[in-house]
Amino acid sequence: MIDVDEHSPLEEPDGNWWNRPVNRRESIWMGISGAWAVTMFGWMVGWMDFGGQNETGPTLKTSPKRFRKKVKAYKQQAGTATIDGESVLVPPGDDVYVGALQWSWDALPMVIEANKRYTFHLSSYDVQHGFSVRRKSNLSQQVSLQVLPDYEWLTDMEFAEPGTFEVQCNEYCGAGHSTMHGKFYVVDSLDELSSSTGGGGGGGTGGGGNGSGGTGGGTNVDDWLSDAGNYDGTVADRTGEDAVTVRVGAKGNGGPYAFDPPAVRVDKGTSVTFSWVSDTHTVTVQSQPEGANWQGHDAIEQSGFSFEHTFETSGTYAYYCIPHESLGMKGAIEVA
Amino acid sequence: MFGLSTYSYDDDGFRTCGVTGLHIHRSAEDMVKLYGVTAIVMLAIGGIAAFFVPMTRWEAIGLLSPQTFYTDLSLHAWYLLVFWMVFIEIAILYVGGPFVLGRRLPLQRLSKAAYGVMIGGVALVTYGILTATPPNAAPMDTSYPPLPSPAVFYLGAIVFILGTILAALPFLVTIWKEKRERPHETLPLIAFGAFITSIVALEALVGGLMAYVPTFFWRMGWLPTMDPALYRQWWWILGHGTQQINLLAMITIWYFMTHVVGGAEVASEKVSRTAFVLYLFFINLGAAHHLMADPASGVFWKMWNTSYAMYGAVFASMVHAFAIPAGLEVGRRRKGLGGGTFGWLWSAPWRDPGFSATILSIILFGFFGGITGVMMGQMQLNMTWHNTFAVPGHFHATVATGTTLAFMGLGYYVLRLVFGRDWVGGTLATIQPYLYGGAMGIVCLMMMYLGVLFGIPRRDPQVMTIPGTSWSFATPTTHLIFAIYGIAALFAILGGALFVGIVVTSLVRGETFAGDMPVDRSMLADGSGEASDPEPPHAQSMRGTFVFVLVFFATFVALYALNWFLLSQVWQIG
Repeated sequence: MIDVDEHSPLEEPDGNWWNRPVNRRESIWMGISGAWAVTMFGWMVGWMDFGGQNETGPTLKTSPKRFRKKVKAYKQQAGTATIDGESVLVPPGDDVYVGALQWSWDALPMVIEANKRYTFHLSSYDVQHGFSVRRKSNLSQQVSLQVLPDYEWLTDMEFAEPGTFEVQCNEYCGAGHSTMHGKFYVVDSLDELSSSTGGGGGGGTGGGGNGSGGTGGGTNVDDWLSDAGNYDGTVADRTGEDAVTVRVGAKGNGGPYAFDPPAVRVDKGTSVTFSWVSDTHTVTVQSQPEGANWQGHDAIEQSGFSFEHTFETSGTYAYYCIPHESLGMKGAIEVA
Repeated sequence: MFGLSTYSYDDDGFRTCGVTGLHIHRSAEDMVKLYGVTAIVMLAIGGIAAFFVPMTRWEAIGLLSPQTFYTDLSLHAWYLLVFWMVFIEIAILYVGGPFVLGRRLPLQRLSKAAYGVMIGGVALVTYGILTATPPNAAPMDTSYPPLPSPAVFYLGAIVFILGTILAALPFLVTIWKEKRERPHETLPLIAFGAFITSIVALEALVGGLMAYVPTFFWRMGWLPTMDPALYRQWWWILGHGTQQINLLAMITIWYFMTHVVGGAEVASEKVSRTAFVLYLFFINLGAAHHLMADPASGVFWKMWNTSYAMYGAVFASMVHAFAIPAGLEVGRRRKGLGGGTFGWLWSAPWRDPGFSATILSIILFGFFGGITGVMMGQMQLNMTWHNTFAVPGHFHATVATGTTLAFMGLGYYVLRLVFGRDWVGGTLATIQPYLYGGAMGIVCLMMMYLGVLFGIPRRDPQVMTIPGTSWSFATPTTHLIFAIYGIAALFAILGGALFVGIVVTSLVRGETFAGDMPVDRSMLADGSGEASDPEPPHAQSMRGTFVFVLVFFATFVALYALNWFLLSQVWQIG
């Protein structure tokens, strides 16, 4: 004979179980729980009034194409400044645009002023990303906001203290996800920076953390292209040709992430056309011979775009694509 | 099934359990064994994948390359969070329904067919994950469009969901038949809990179909787009709903195990059942607390949704947090098993892994998992948690310590009461829950520190050296915390492997279970062996439980305040 309890959860309860009294302490606990739930709700609502951190901005419906154009126009109106030898975007007004893409942050790095209210416009050119920002000098000061294609989120921010802010994507977005880093600066006053205003043309932002436009006629092509998967060690010889084409975004490096040919030798005075064969690439100058003045093309362009440059100065020009640099999308031109 | 049980059935196919008194039919028990053993296999596979996660994220070791890491992480997520959980929860439904009610399992062939469909889903999902090479991306658990994964992956998820719905049907028919035959009788609490679990499960699964079907169509090119915001809302009905299923199943198991192994009785049927019903009403839309840091979702929707879930579901959880230890306290007091404030607890069978796993599950779930979940769900606080390493810190606390530990405890008693075999290992079995729970608890804490205090991202294997920049999250402190995380994870995985090893060995070589009652139920109050009519549960003292919940509450308030303080130090937003 098995003796089971009178109040077993395995048996149906006897009699009028609904009307049995409830233990006083159990009732007190339910009161505490209910009051705590209401308190937490009240605090959260109240914070919108007395708290300084509320992600309550409006969202606009958009599309990757439309947002890309908005950011491009914004970059054209933006100025540039130089911080630690790096070219940095200066927003033209109170609006700050940041375009997330696989795998970089368009319109970063940038610099804004402390104690000034800015409206950040966040959206994506492709997949979902995470705009995760922290103060470099205090990693505990950090927030993350989801960035979706088709949606432009407006969030106001104001920074009381100047500093450097590191941005790292924290929504898994494919192969180059862990490389998707950017930054921005907050300074007391923009006037104190060496800068140029307006009409920056096409972009003017470095990105990629390697700086751009520096000198380096002695750049070793093998070293530069060591992590370019589609470089087999040979430099394509196109000397004797007047016009040469480099395909931007050819297949390579695990996707459409290659310059083809990655390394090419041309005569002085050769016209080289960079022709986009897939979307979302830049031709950003890493280094070039002293005295050369090649600007590259820092703005993100889509399939079908092309630009041309005639290389007049001998030496080695190293360049890369900003969003896909970490995957190995790099190239070199040797001018004889 | 399997031929590993030591029990035999009468001519009608029934047997009576010598410990619980339940009348168990072979049709139900065979399916419990099938789904239960399959769950253990899924746990083992997911556990192997688990090894490579901390061994990569602890970058001093850094075993896998990023691409392989993303694949491994996706396998780890699907095999543990989905397959391990769902297979064992179907088994739990068959226990909570047919076992508890003493009925045959209806539609047994449907149950077998459903099993086949679910295994098909497992195969398709696995294949989808393994073949996710560019332009496809590893799906992880969430597979957010427009980042594409192989079409066969989404198809696999759909197939698995359909199989699960089919597997749940025999349980629902059991309840329906019971109510038709005995319309005026109340379901036992555990059957009631299982019933609520199944309803919440159906809601969640339908939400999953709303997310995966159009996404599959989009991936096949039959639909031009899949709106990313809409997907997130629909998917999280599945994503959040499944976690609440885990919670409900776990709580049902807590009632079961504290009763069978600890001698608990129900403190108040009214309070416990009301708490279950609150879950039913308040869980459905709670998904939006995963969208706190999203655009597109309106502030009113976010606030109402996350606090609606708070009023209802969290309140219900706090009710169970009292009711379950209280049930143990009053049940043991009535049996004369403990005097004073805490005697009922110190005298409990802490060497019994079924008991210790259950209690550790309750404590770790509450303190580490429950509190952090509520905090993360506060709209503004979410900004400091979203997509950081603290998020897996939270859900390893809830699922890997809470739910998994509860299911491990149940597993020890399935060995005894379903297979009729005692567990092997002696001391090893005694320490296993402590090893696993303790180590995993430390893992969770480290993940949360790294996430909230340092903003380290989740799902990212290269945070201490970031390609393309000289900046990283590397500091002496983060190096140290990652090392503690990595070492603790090794012990946790060892604890998990130990469980699988004990179960498999016991199934094959365990001694016949002698049928000892874990708790002597014939003694009441005065210890004399004669019934002495002790006070009913509600009149017993619950002061021990009251002290514990007050400590829990104080912890809750302190952590809540700390988190809001941390947020207040961030620059102005909005």
